[in-house]
Amino acid sequence: MRRSQRTVHRALWPLLALAVGLGLALGLGLRAPPAAPQAAEVTR
Amino acid sequence: MSVGFRAVQWNRAKLVYDAILLVGVALYIGLFLLIAYRIDPPKDLPAEIDLRIRAFGSCAFVMLTIILSIGPLARLDRRFLPLLYNRRHFGVLTFIIASLHVSYMLEWYAVQGNLPNLINELMTWGDYGKFIGFPFKVLGIIALGILFLMAATSHDFWLGLLTPRVWKGLHMALYVAYALVVMHVALGIMQYVHTPLIPAMLIGGFGIVTVLHLVAGWRERAGDRGGTAADGGWIAVGAPASIPDKGARIVAAPGGERIAVFRDGAEIGALTNLCAHQAGPIGEGRIIDGCVTCPWHGYQYRLADGCAPPPFTEKLATYRVRISNGVVEVHPDALQPGTPASIFLQATPE
Repeated sequence: MRRSQRTVHRALWPLLALAVGLGLALGLGLRAPPAAPQAAEVTR
Repeated sequence: MSVGFRAVQWNRAKLVYDAILLVGVALYIGLFLLIAYRIDPPKDLPAEIDLRIRAFGSCAFVMLTIILSIGPLARLDRRFLPLLYNRRHFGVLTFIIASLHVSYMLEWYAVQGNLPNLINELMTWGDYGKFIGFPFKVLGIIALGILFLMAATSHDFWLGLLTPRVWKGLHMALYVAYALVVMHVALGIMQYVHTPLIPAMLIGGFGIVTVLHLVAGWRERAGDRGGTAADGGWIAVGAPASIPDKGARIVAAPGGERIAVFRDGAEIGALTNLCAHQAGPIGEGRIIDGCVTCPWHGYQYRLADGCAPPPFTEKLATYRVRISNGVVEVHPDALQPGTPASIFLQATPE
C-alpha cells in the first residue's frame, strides 16, 4: 500500500472499530432479558 | 503476471487453495446442520429453512473474519503469506455464501406467504430512529451490496482498468461491510436468541480482527518515518552485508514512501516497494530465479531495471544507489519505471 492509503487506513479503521465496539456493547447491554419460563399451573 | 486478457489463470496453488476453501465451507455448514438437527430437530419447513439461514450466515461471518485477519497475519509472520495468494477467491466465495443466506431468508418468508411483511419491515421508517428495533436486515443488505461490488471487480481486468490505487481503496470497503455484518447480527438474532454463542462469536471475531490490526500497525509504524537524508539527499541504507543476499532492506524516503534496496550477490539495486500488480510490498519478497519476486502474488521484476522479464510488460520505478565510505546509499528521487540503476560491488560481501 502507498503511504496515503496506509494513512487513510490507519485513521479510518480505528474509528470504525470504536463505533462497532460501542454498538456491540450497547446491543448486548440493551437487549431484553430472556422470557421467563411459564409458571407451572397450580393445582389444588 | 499478464501479457493479455485471460478470464482466469489457474495453477496448482490456486486449485489447492480453492479445494481447501470449498472443503472447509462444506464441513462448517455440514457440521452446523448436523449438530443443530441433533440438539433440536426442526418441527416444520420454516424452522428447517431458519437453520440454513443461520448456518450460511454464521459461515459468511467466519469467512469475513478470516479474510480480514489474513492481511495483518501475513505482515506479522511470513508463514501466512500463502493465505494471501488467492484471497480474492475467498472473497468471492464469501459473497456466494452470504447470497445463499439471503436467498434462504427470502424463502423463509415465501413459504409462509409473508413476503409483504418483509417489505413492511424494511419500510417502517419510524424503526430507523430506534437502536434496539432497527431494521437490521438493511445492514445485511448493504453489506451484501458491498460484497457484490468487490466480487464483481475482483478480476485483474478491473484492477488494470481502475489502477491499483483506486482498486485497493475500493476494496477497503470490506471493513465497512464487516462492521455492518457485526451490527446486523448484534441488532438481529442476538436480540431474540439468548444463547451465549452469538455474543461469543461476535466479540471473538471482532476482537481478533481488531487486535491483529493494532499489533501489525504498531510494528509497521516505524517504517513510515522518513529516513535521514545525508548530503545531496542520499539516504544511508547500511553496509552491503547488512542487506540479506537475495533479500532487501526497506527504507523510507523523506515523504514516507518506501524504497526496497535488494542485494543479489554483488549486485545492489533499489526499486519502489510497491508492486505494479496490487501495490504489494516488494521489499518483503525474495530474489528467485534472478528476479525480484513479490510475496503476494509472485509478480517478478529484474533488479537491474525494474522491468518484468519478457514477455511480461510491467515496470517498477528504480532509484539510484551508490557506495559511500563502505555504506550503501539510495537517492530518494524515483527514476522513470524501467530505468537501469543497479550497481556491482567489487567483491561479494561476506
